[in-house]
Amino acid sequence: MLKLGRRTFADTDLLVMAIVNRTRDSFYDNGATFAEDKALDRVRQVVAEGADIVDVGGVKAGPGEDVDAAEEIRRTAGFVAKVRAEFPHLVISVDTWRAEVGRAVCRAGADLLNDAWGGHDPGLAEVAAEHDAALVCAHTGGLAPRTPPHRMGYDDVVRAAIDDTVALAERAVTVGVRRDSILIDPAHDFGKNTWHSLEITRRLDEMVATGWPVLVSLSRKDFVGEALDLPVGERLNGTLAATAVSAWHGARVYRAHDVASTRQVLDMVATIRGSRDPARVVRGLA
Amino acid sequence: MIRAAAVCPQPPLLFRELAGSQDAAEELRAACHRAVSQVLTATPDVVVVIGGDERTAVWDVALAPAPGGFGGPAGGRRDGLPLSLGVGRRLLEEAGWTGPVELRAVAWDADSAEVVRLGAGLAAHEDDVVLLVLGEGSARRGDKAPGYVDDRAFGYDAETRRALADGHPEGLLRQDPRLAHELMAGGRAAFQVMAAAVRAQGASPRAEVHYSDDPFGVMYAVATWLL
Repeated sequence: MLKLGRRTFADTDLLVMAIVNRTRDSFYDNGATFAEDKALDRVRQVVAEGADIVDVGGVKAGPGEDVDAAEEIRRTAGFVAKVRAEFPHLVISVDTWRAEVGRAVCRAGADLLNDAWGGHDPGLAEVAAEHDAALVCAHTGGLAPRTPPHRMGYDDVVRAAIDDTVALAERAVTVGVRRDSILIDPAHDFGKNTWHSLEITRRLDEMVATGWPVLVSLSRKDFVGEALDLPVGERLNGTLAATAVSAWHGARVYRAHDVASTRQVLDMVATIRGSRDPARVVRGLA
Repeated sequence: MIRAAAVCPQPPLLFRELAGSQDAAEELRAACHRAVSQVLTATPDVVVVIGGDERTAVWDVALAPAPGGFGGPAGGRRDGLPLSLGVGRRLLEEAGWTGPVELRAVAWDADSAEVVRLGAGLAAHEDDVVLLVLGEGSARRGDKAPGYVDDRAFGYDAETRRALADGHPEGLLRQDPRLAHELMAGGRAAFQVMAAAVRAQGASPRAEVHYSDDPFGVMYAVATWLL
């Protein structure tokens, strides 16, 4: 069982976490949902397309416009409250590394803190515990927030991702986060070159074998772009291929831009695996 | 003595677990349940299930009514009853029947002498018997039908339906085994065994058709004969 704030999910459920950026400069949407009304429209759309979770971000992952904590709260907390009011049962996640932002958004109704920068601010786990919120523990190889990787090397990138995320998860439990409310994320491309992200994908079953539910964030990332030599606008097929492989290996949550396509791929993999019934079977059986 | 008979088709889709989450066969299955429940009100000593198979044989009632080789969520191997008898057994199970059951397969290509012989044997049954007869009309009723289109299918099926609706054994016994084979009409032999039994008993059944349609290009009819 996975408990994300007010909702619980079965171990066989594959969840889509839709990206909703309240930023001017994120790599794919380039500010398309920076305005609050546009971001709310995006939430309505992704919910209609089958998203289980929305992940609200106020700061671009990579280097860019400086956004301090006050500005990040201004972008996210009020918006979370509006989404909560309109969608009482939707799981709301906020992508932040700052404890003070985490506290503000939990008060506004967030269920999940997506600590994509791997415990940079240890206080974030305590905030999750205080508010009975769920927590994502990600692997960054020790990079500070918003830092791109440069010549990073690992003895074994999969081992490193497992060791670091499991350590963060265990620490979160000791500060009071519910064990069934913690996800681990290898964080493709964070502190990793394309070879690393490909190997993480290829060996994701090792991460799943830890028993912690695994979240993957694959959508239109550079490892897909470099693998296929394609710009961000043309990376959907590659993303979906990585999604299918990750689902086969047992990842549980998929952070994505393209919700309907991702939902369809996850449903298909679940059906192949046998954890979901086909919708309607007639061929050869009439 | 035969008290009643129910006719149901035998598509694997009647095994609910094969149909997927939307259940394209829901209406058909409901009609089968109505028909089986209706004939069971005759409170028989035994239900005799009759269905087509490669050869005429009596089957062991201990075998599970599983879809076997047709797959399903847990995968599947062909190791149980023939499809027709398996569907019949499952329908009885779903109707809550826990009394005695006999399972009799009749060869798809049984000739008229053989169906008459088998029918006479049923009519001579010492117990009060309800028949559950599995079979359907032609599978060649459209572009998307399993056997594509054969225009003769419509006349053939109309005649079968009329005989079922009128409780008219002769109408079923008239059907030509060779034409039935060409039309992929899998119920011909089983229907004729029922018809021969009812005729041998000299009864005039009160007949009702509960369902008659070809949603997937195969003619399905659900009917009851009360004797």
